[in-house]
Amino acid sequence: MKRLLLSIVAAAAVLVLMNWVYARWFYRADLLTHSDIVEASWQAATDSLELVYLGESSNKTYGYTDTDQRKISEMVAERLPEMRCGDITKEASHAEVYYYLLKNIPKDNDIKTVVVTMNLRSFGANWIYSSLETALQKKLVMIKGYPPLMGRALLAFKAYPIRTKDEWGRLARRSWEKTPLVFPYDFPYKTTADWNRAVAYEGVKDSLGQRDQALTELTAHFIKNYGFQIHDDNPRVRDFDRIVKLAKQRGWRLAFNIMAENTDRAQELVGDDLVFLMRQNVTYLKHRYEAMGVVVIDNLEAVRDRDFIDREWPTEHYYQTGRQTIARNVAEAIKKGDAMK
Amino acid sequence: MVFNSIEYLIFLPLVVLLYYLIPHRYRWFMLLAASCLFYMWFVPKYILILLVTIVIDYSAGLLMERDADSPKKKKTWMVISVVSTLSVLFVFKYLGFVNDNFVKLCQSLGLNVRTSVNLILPIGLSFHTFQSMSYVIEVYRGHQKAERHFGYYALYVMFFPQLVTGPIERPGNLLRQLHEEKRFDGHNLVRGLRLILFGFFIKMVVADNLGACVDAVYEHPEQYNAWSVWLAMVFYSFQIYGDFFGYSTIALGSALLMGYEISDNFRSPYLSKNIGEFWHRWHISLSTWFRDYVYIPMGGSRVKFGRWAYNIMVVFVLSGLWHGANWTFLLWGFAHGLLHILEKVLYKAAGTAEDGRHRFRWCFQLLGMARTFLLVTLFWVFFRATDIGHIKTIFTAAFTQFGEGQPLAVDPKLWAFLALFIVSDFVLKDRRFDRWCDHVPVVLRWLLYAVLVFCTIVFSSVNNFPFIYFQF
Repeated sequence: MKRLLLSIVAAAAVLVLMNWVYARWFYRADLLTHSDIVEASWQAATDSLELVYLGESSNKTYGYTDTDQRKISEMVAERLPEMRCGDITKEASHAEVYYYLLKNIPKDNDIKTVVVTMNLRSFGANWIYSSLETALQKKLVMIKGYPPLMGRALLAFKAYPIRTKDEWGRLARRSWEKTPLVFPYDFPYKTTADWNRAVAYEGVKDSLGQRDQALTELTAHFIKNYGFQIHDDNPRVRDFDRIVKLAKQRGWRLAFNIMAENTDRAQELVGDDLVFLMRQNVTYLKHRYEAMGVVVIDNLEAVRDRDFIDREWPTEHYYQTGRQTIARNVAEAIKKGDAMK
Repeated sequence: MVFNSIEYLIFLPLVVLLYYLIPHRYRWFMLLAASCLFYMWFVPKYILILLVTIVIDYSAGLLMERDADSPKKKKTWMVISVVSTLSVLFVFKYLGFVNDNFVKLCQSLGLNVRTSVNLILPIGLSFHTFQSMSYVIEVYRGHQKAERHFGYYALYVMFFPQLVTGPIERPGNLLRQLHEEKRFDGHNLVRGLRLILFGFFIKMVVADNLGACVDAVYEHPEQYNAWSVWLAMVFYSFQIYGDFFGYSTIALGSALLMGYEISDNFRSPYLSKNIGEFWHRWHISLSTWFRDYVYIPMGGSRVKFGRWAYNIMVVFVLSGLWHGANWTFLLWGFAHGLLHILEKVLYKAAGTAEDGRHRFRWCFQLLGMARTFLLVTLFWVFFRATDIGHIKTIFTAAFTQFGEGQPLAVDPKLWAFLALFIVSDFVLKDRRFDRWCDHVPVVLRWLLYAVLVFCTIVFSSVNNFPFIYFQF
């Protein structure tokens, strides 16, 4: 027994020593290799930023015809000259990624305000079970706050969901099958899957009354991306809640920037029912987070169809007019908002 | 569940703890449930296929014992069982291949045939099918009593450490041990942990890092110069060895934690002086399976040369096909068989200085090792390539692209790990790591553990390289 105890103590001492060696000589290089997104968090402190804008591709995507190709965050900065503004932008990010990016901002920083992109689609199964999640989750493993050696061990032993595109797709389909849609009026479909099947079966007709396959597929994409209802158990809601908690701990003013969605196109392709769900979800988010003291900027219908770049897939990529509108709304909200302190 | 996953690191200690906490008479159930969970972690529904095989072979065992006095009936049960088990294997593994070739043949004859078979191969099907068949054959031969307890038989087929990629166990070894009451033994626990640690290092640090280089070249051989293609071929030899040896070592260690000794699958195969010896050292549980159930029943070596050569070719071609339903595997098996026969002919004609009392015996032995390694490496190209065209592309690049194409960038650390792996093979020759450690002074041993743990955590590949033999 004495020998066993000695062995355990010796093993623990060796582990502590190994952790020190790793943290001293290998950790930083590993972070920059395997979790390179964290560099932006460090930079936010180094640059003494006062306002940090966290975004995904919507922040930096521009149209080729745009004369102003700046990011939304840069447009916000222009409108807030009194603050040192910067951004942390990572494609396909969502609230969980933002949480860990914020958590990794060094404690010694000048940040006063944090604007976090709130993308409506990111609450839906199509994004939650996106095939990009494997790569994203892998990048998060080492920045989750474990001791350095443990973080690397978790990465070595693949402590993140490794799924193929098909497997992710199956999870999304299961969610669409299982999650009921509840409308305050009669609605013919019980789930997103039912709704999607009906559209795929009936098809969308062109002006000649013929089935337009491309339009049918786009309609299905809209249903799959927006045809859901956000509840308290939504993983993104939990992540945004964690962001609120973190901001309170760090003393940051917090603003959630609900991105504009192409409600014109949703109305045209699917109709009132889908737009109803989109509005209902935004209302839920506004009520929930305003009650927590967060400034919630509602841009849902701020950008019109002509200002959306992508025509064959629902995205939040806007031409310069759209980006300027979002930036204006964010800047105004920051100026007047009594964001959570 | 894969061994090099966080899930397994949680699963294994829990199973071992439960194993020693519960009385012997309930352990079979706990281990069976754990094995089911382990297997269902991949694709749950495939456990039904496993169940079908288990029920067939379990019943066949009992029926053969019941009809022991009637050789004809006994043989009928054995044939029914083997054919049924092989049918399952055929449907999931070979039907698609046969269908594709049939369609191609019909199309070349101008017939318009369009059929397709798209079945996903259940993980480890070839392994547990062969393990199950070995039980039936052993019962038929009278070497093994039929197992009456369905749970123990199911556990014999499904024992999680060796369920998905072997070693392919015999009932005489594993089934017997499953009935034994294992008491906690600290030394077994330490030995098991040593094996698991060593297996992790070989798989995650050596094999997976080599895999990244190999994949880069095999995906675009036309972009690399000939030396890089050769390097990738050599790296693949060590990748597949490290990958499979690593898995087998973790399997051995996991079983040993609960006191079970399962068979060694490797004994420094690249130190073999000829291809015959290589097959005594590489994937031993499969080689001996083919030896005992195919080669010897066909007459083995106690026949005329022509018949012997035929027997060898059958065994190697079957071994190739066992690995995968593709012409590349068939070619790989054929090449090994042919080389085996050629070596026998040449040795017979010229004799060999490798094993005799020649003054420069060591020199010949070294040359023999180098020659065998080179040939095995060349044959691994058949194994790694996706199709015959790919084999051609690799060899064309290896023999023609001198002075053109980019060099393969290799991390200096990788050379160090590879060197360590090769040295360990020399040091451990014919010995197992856990037993070798017993003779290392305690301070050095702890230092070795620390280095292995540190390297496994810090230098393991972060990319996901599934165990190569999972696909079989």
